Amino acid sequence: MRTGEVLNILGKLLILLSLFLLTPIPFSLYYQDGMAVTFLFCSLCGAILGGLLVAIFVSEKELGYRDGFAVVVFSWLALALLGAMPFYLSGQMPSFADCFFESMSGFTTTGSTILSQVEVLPKSVLFWRALTHWLGGMGIIVLTLAILPLLGVGGMQLFQAEMPGPTKDRLAPRIQDTARILWSVYVLFTLLEILLLLLGGMDFFDATCHSFATLATGGFSTHTASVAHFDSLYIEAVIIVFMFLAGVNFSLHYHGLRGRLSSYWQSEEFRFYLALIVMAVLIVTAANFFARTYDSTGENLRTASFQVVSIITTTGFGTADFDQWPPICKILLVSLMFIGGCAGSTGGGIKQVRVLLFFKYARLQLRHLVHPQAVGAIKLGKVKVPKEVLISILGFFGLYIAVILLATLVVTGLGVDIVTGGTAVIATLNNIGPGLHLVGPVQHYGHLPATVKVALSFCMLAGRLELYTVAVLFTSDYWRMARKPKLRWQGDKFSAVRENKE
Amino acid sequence: MRIMIVGAGQVGYHLSKKFSMEGQEVVLVDRDESKLRRLERELNIMTVHGSGASARTLEEAGIDKSDLFIAVTDSDEVNLVACILSRQYQVKKRIARVRSDDFLSPGSPLNEQALGVDLLISPDRAMTDEIIQLSNVSEAFDVVEFADGHVLLLGYVVQPNNPCAGLSLKQLKKLRGSYRFLVVAIIRQGTPIIPRGDDRIEVHDKIYLMVRREDIPAVEELFNLSSRKPDLVFIIGGGNIGYMVARRLEEKGIDVRLVEEDPDHCEILAKQLEHTLVLNFDGLESNVLLEEGIDRADLVISVTDSDTTNILSSLLAKHHGAKKCITKITRPDFIPLLGKLGIDVALSPRQVAADMILRFVRRGAIVSVATLLASDAEVIELKVPDHQRFRDAPLKALAFPHGAIVGAIVRDSQVFIPSGETTLQPGDNLIIFFTKDAIHHVESFFAVD
Repeated sequence: MRTGEVLNILGKLLILLSLFLLTPIPFSLYYQDGMAVTFLFCSLCGAILGGLLVAIFVSEKELGYRDGFAVVVFSWLALALLGAMPFYLSGQMPSFADCFFESMSGFTTTGSTILSQVEVLPKSVLFWRALTHWLGGMGIIVLTLAILPLLGVGGMQLFQAEMPGPTKDRLAPRIQDTARILWSVYVLFTLLEILLLLLGGMDFFDATCHSFATLATGGFSTHTASVAHFDSLYIEAVIIVFMFLAGVNFSLHYHGLRGRLSSYWQSEEFRFYLALIVMAVLIVTAANFFARTYDSTGENLRTASFQVVSIITTTGFGTADFDQWPPICKILLVSLMFIGGCAGSTGGGIKQVRVLLFFKYARLQLRHLVHPQAVGAIKLGKVKVPKEVLISILGFFGLYIAVILLATLVVTGLGVDIVTGGTAVIATLNNIGPGLHLVGPVQHYGHLPATVKVALSFCMLAGRLELYTVAVLFTSDYWRMARKPKLRWQGDKFSAVRENKE
Repeated sequence: MRIMIVGAGQVGYHLSKKFSMEGQEVVLVDRDESKLRRLERELNIMTVHGSGASARTLEEAGIDKSDLFIAVTDSDEVNLVACILSRQYQVKKRIARVRSDDFLSPGSPLNEQALGVDLLISPDRAMTDEIIQLSNVSEAFDVVEFADGHVLLLGYVVQPNNPCAGLSLKQLKKLRGSYRFLVVAIIRQGTPIIPRGDDRIEVHDKIYLMVRREDIPAVEELFNLSSRKPDLVFIIGGGNIGYMVARRLEEKGIDVRLVEEDPDHCEILAKQLEHTLVLNFDGLESNVLLEEGIDRADLVISVTDSDTTNILSSLLAKHHGAKKCITKITRPDFIPLLGKLGIDVALSPRQVAADMILRFVRRGAIVSVATLLASDAEVIELKVPDHQRFRDAPLKALAFPHGAIVGAIVRDSQVFIPSGETTLQPGDNLIIFFTKDAIHHVESFFAVD
């Protein structure tokens, strides 16, 4: 690992984020909430810290395969810390652990909040909360790849470490172009949703924040009652559609936008995703119908569709308190939490394709029991899935179960009850937001002990970066490969020669 | 530019690396999936698994969007079929690697024109050309031609007997008189320096010079380098390359001794060659080598199929007093080691072929031309933009960026080597040398807003 290069890139990313910290200022000035100076201060802090890192550590202009993991994990940690500053300085959150939790929940597009009343936050801070979602959704490192040339070498490593899914589609030969395409589609959809929400009567501020949270499958709302606040079928319909789209592989959207609509249907993962949603909506509607949760079937269907899509895409917006629903609905929703969006989407969770392949693998094993001599291949669409991918998926499941067990042990050990603790881990690891019981859709995470919040923040990061990227940093092998950084003032012979000349 | 390369062997790898580092869009097609996965991780390229001779694979790889097609698999037939296919998709430039002489000689019925390929390249022939060029300029370890060979970039090692060692470039300028040459790069212990007037040349430096072809003898005299043609050349290994090199050298009237292990093959060689003395023994037997006069050899060329034999026979020859050796090496990874061992020039046929393809592709294009041997210095060809700033301005008044130097100016198919007083004209093509760090300064220097 090239430690110097990693820290150098970290500095550059901090500078980029400090630019984004300036964007809430216009909102602050417009709503006169007095946060403009705070954001300016945070931005300056980020820029100075980033500048120092860039100044101290010499870029080695080369990023190895291994370095991607460290760059991505440490960048995300640094971004979450810097992103927590405005929350802390706003004075509305009691401790820094709360702010860190909120910020991490934003960047990882989890959407869990520690606030019982969201409206107490100044408007510009609410905007910042939504913006962290938006940046984290498609990935800030992928964004950096797309707009800055500085990560040219080794970009593939960073891309792989940040983008979700067991395999990555390349839409263009150069990774920078692939990143650019993905972000363009993302921006386009965001703008489209803002427009549609404005047409539904939302004001510009709410429309922007909700669009950021939808496309990133985040779930932060600007209102405590979440989307239920608007109580509009039109707005819910628009948000359902965009949540659904955000949970689809963005490469498919790119092909779709170029007129190849058939590529949606050709994707087996997409069909699986669609079928799963339809099935879940039907079951939840039926269960609520028999339990007489709502008065009319229409309302049944409306809340069921919204909640199912919100949960499976790992967004976590709410229009109903599903903690009050019959048990079958609760367990179904919790199982959907695990599955999450498609690979290459902004959704979290295990990802549709992994679950699909896992079942295919199980089916193949069953066939082997009946026909021991049969030669079978696992195919996705028409393409055979390479063995390494299958093995990596099995490994992923192992790691996933281990992390859930460990995190639940830690959380319940710190005094949280089983349902709350268990679902809190599931909801954060899969980047959803609401769990059940004390962290249910109309509850919040504020009452949990600070240590639990830190543990859950870690779950969010591990979930967003799909375990492997984070877990590899915990192996001693990885750190044995670390190299000493090269500092700016430890000039080598070459730079000494150059300086003499000048 | 979108470039499609078929075949992820050494040539394909080398080309993919160079092109992708320049920011070109590279798509690499090969049948070995695990190799592709490794390369995709290492390089910024897209890979497609499948046969290059299959239209479906090529379509999947986006052949209709490609501007350049390079087929460099191990099979002549696959390469040619792939090139013919690519012509159907209107790819502008097509290059194929072939081994068989059936396609290479201009008189054959299936030559470049008939096949519709812009360049047919054979690693063995490219290697032979390179060896012949290096044997002309007797002590240079690197030679690159510019502007159809009118100007050459020569790399020399500064030996202790070089009278210019210890001189600064300013002093050198006074010495050189009317001859035109320019020191464009100095490589000191592996780090490149783009020199300015105060920099000194030191013993054991590698220096790169831009010289007009006609001035080479004068320059070599100035540096106390022997400029005569080699009198006696030993070639170890009578394979394809050995035979072709022997043939070319004997045509120049040079005394050539070709050593080959296999007696039957020796007879064929003896029949085909005119004046060359074909010797039948193992190139590692020092007593026979000495008997045949290896100690007086000006040049030893080791081109057997075995890297080990090539390295050892070169070392043996040098030990017994041969002046210079050129060693063929199949694995380019070893090249950096060989300089330390005392081998003057190490060449890998596949890398030579890749470099030749690069040069062909870049002809007239504004892209970098070559990386100076194992260092971070590069060469770029740039057109001077039409801007007031550059019109009739002498070079020294332009505040040219540090770490970069104009090595030659190509104007209306004339080439000259500039000095501080030289003025630029819009439309001039400049050959600029620079270290990796200076590229952005060069770019912004020529940027016209």
